[in-house]
Amino acid sequence: MGWEEVQVRGYSEFVRTAQSYHGRPIFALFCGDKDAEGKSWCPDCVTAEPVVRKELHNLPDDSVFIYCLVGERAYWKDPNNEFRKNLKLTAVPTLLKYGTPQKLVEEECFKAELVRMLFTED
Amino acid sequence: QEAAKYEKKVMVLDFVTPTPQGSSWGLGGTCVNVGCIPKKLMHQAALLGQALQDSRKFGWQFTEEVKHNWMTMTESVQNYIGSLNWGYRVALRDTKVTYENAYGEFVGPHTVKATNKKGIEKLYTAERFIIATGERPRYLGIPGDKEYCISSDDLFSLPYCPGKTLVVGASYVALECAGFLAGLGLDVTVMVRSILLRGFDQDMANRIGEYMKEHGVSFIREFVPIKVERVEEGSPGILKVTAKSTAGDQMIEGEYNTVLLAIGRNPCTRRIGLDKVGVNINEKTGKIPVNDEEQTNVPYIYAIGDILQDKLELTPVAIQAGRLLVQRLYAGATTKCDYVNVPTTVFTPLEYGACGYSEETAVEKFGEENIEVYHSHFWPLEWTVPSRDNNKCYAKIICNIQDNERVIGFHVLGPNAGEVTQGFAAAIKCGLTKEQLDSTVGIHPVCAEV
Repeated sequence: MGWEEVQVRGYSEFVRTAQSYHGRPIFALFCGDKDAEGKSWCPDCVTAEPVVRKELHNLPDDSVFIYCLVGERAYWKDPNNEFRKNLKLTAVPTLLKYGTPQKLVEEECFKAELVRMLFTED
Repeated sequence: QEAAKYEKKVMVLDFVTPTPQGSSWGLGGTCVNVGCIPKKLMHQAALLGQALQDSRKFGWQFTEEVKHNWMTMTESVQNYIGSLNWGYRVALRDTKVTYENAYGEFVGPHTVKATNKKGIEKLYTAERFIIATGERPRYLGIPGDKEYCISSDDLFSLPYCPGKTLVVGASYVALECAGFLAGLGLDVTVMVRSILLRGFDQDMANRIGEYMKEHGVSFIREFVPIKVERVEEGSPGILKVTAKSTAGDQMIEGEYNTVLLAIGRNPCTRRIGLDKVGVNINEKTGKIPVNDEEQTNVPYIYAIGDILQDKLELTPVAIQAGRLLVQRLYAGATTKCDYVNVPTTVFTPLEYGACGYSEETAVEKFGEENIEVYHSHFWPLEWTVPSRDNNKCYAKIICNIQDNERVIGFHVLGPNAGEVTQGFAAAIKCGLTKEQLDSTVGIHPVCAEV
C-alpha cells in the first residue's frame, strides 16, 4: 500500500486528522492560505510546494502526507496562534515528520535533497 | 564540514555500538548524546529544584509539595538531543558531506570498510583519513557488571527513574551524575577507590566532595565493588553490591536500585583495523600518539579528540583541532591547536571552573617559593536570603612570581563557574598578571568580582 494525501485547514482539523492516523508515519507540510487564484500569501510556500510535491513519491509505504493551510497572514503573525504554541512551528513553510524532532523550515524546504532525506531516512 | 568548504569530497562514518543494556543514539558523538548536553540539562533540572526551595524565602508562596518526574525530564532532554542529531544531518547534507551510519574500520592502505546495522559492507578509499572515534565507558570486569550495571551511556535515556543509586567512581562524570541525581531527590551513594577528581587541583576536589556530602550525597571511601547480583527484577529492580576495602580485608554489602559505573573511559581504537595500516597506538591505554599537527605515524592518517595521547579530553578542543587541521591541509593555514590554558568546568552541585595549573602542578613545575596563591571565600548575594552556606564558595589564583606575577592558574568554586571562568581564560591567554587583575574594577554585586 503506497502513501496517501489529506488536505486540512486550521489547527483543530490538523490535530483531529493526525490523531486519526495514529500508528502510521505522518508527514505534514504547513503553508499559508491560498487566495481565490490559488496563490498563497507566503512567497516561500509558493516556492517550496512544488519541490515537496516532486519528492512525495519517495514517501514510505503506508505513510500519510497532510497538507495543512494554517490560515490568513494576520493569524499566522500572531505570536500566540495554536500552531506556534502547541506545535512549536516557527515559520511557514514547515515540512515535518510528525512526532519526531525532524523538520525542515523555510529555505530548507526548497532543497530536494533535504526533503528526500526527511521522507526516506530514519 | 570545514573540509567541504574547500571543495573536498568528504564522507563521515558514524556508528554507535549499543551498550550492554541496549542503549544507542544518533549523530553527534558523546558530547551531544550522552555527555555534556544531557548532563548540563539534568544538572540544570537539579539546580531548578534547589531554586524552588530558595524561592520561598524570596516570597514565592506555593503550598503543593514539589516533586520531580524523571520521565518528563528525560523525554524533554531526548527530544532536544533528537533535534540536534537531525540538525547535524541537515547540515552535513547541505554542505554535501556524505554521511553513513556505518561502523568504519581500515582494511588496507587508504581503504576502509563500512558496515551498517544490517551487516551490509561497503569499501571506500580516500586520500586522507581523520580518526575521531572517541571513547566509551569502562566496565569493572567483575561478575554482574555488564548484566546489571549502567553507565553514563545509558543514564540520560533511562526509561525509568534510577531510584536509590550507587555511583562507582570519583571522576567528574561520577560526581556530576551523583550530584544531579541527588539534586533531583534521589538517595545517592558514591563509592570511591582512592581520591576524588584525579588530575584536578586536589584542594578544590576535596571542597567539592565536602559540599556534596553536606548536601545529601553519601560517600564510601577506599572500597571497590567485587560483585553485583540481582535481588529483584524490575525497572528499576534491586541490586546487591559486595565491595572490598582497598586498605584491608573488610567487606561490605549494600542494596541499590541502580548501579552507575563511572570509572573511566577507554578509547575506541582497538577494533578499527589500525594494525592493518600500521598506525601506532599506546598498547596499554589505547590512545594514539600524534605530532603537534595531529598526524599519526602514518602520514595520511590524522586523529583528533579524546583518543589522543597526552591531550585534553574536551569537546571544544577536539572541534578546534579538527577545524585548524583542515585549514592547514586545504587552506594554507599554519595555526596549530593550542592545548595550553584551556578552561574547563565541572558541573557538580557546587560548580568548579578552572584554567591553567592546579596548585600541585604549579608547585611541581615552578617550585613552591616561586608561586604565590591568592584566595578568598565568598558568599553569593543570591545565597544570603535563603540562608545557604556562607563559607563554601571559593576562588583562588596561582601566580608565577618570577614572571611578573603572571596568573598561571585560576580556580573558582561557586554558581555559574563556567560562565565566570570563560572570560578569565581569555585574559590568561593574553598573559594576565596579578597587577592587571587588581587594577580591573569589579562588577558589583556578582561573584566574579572577587
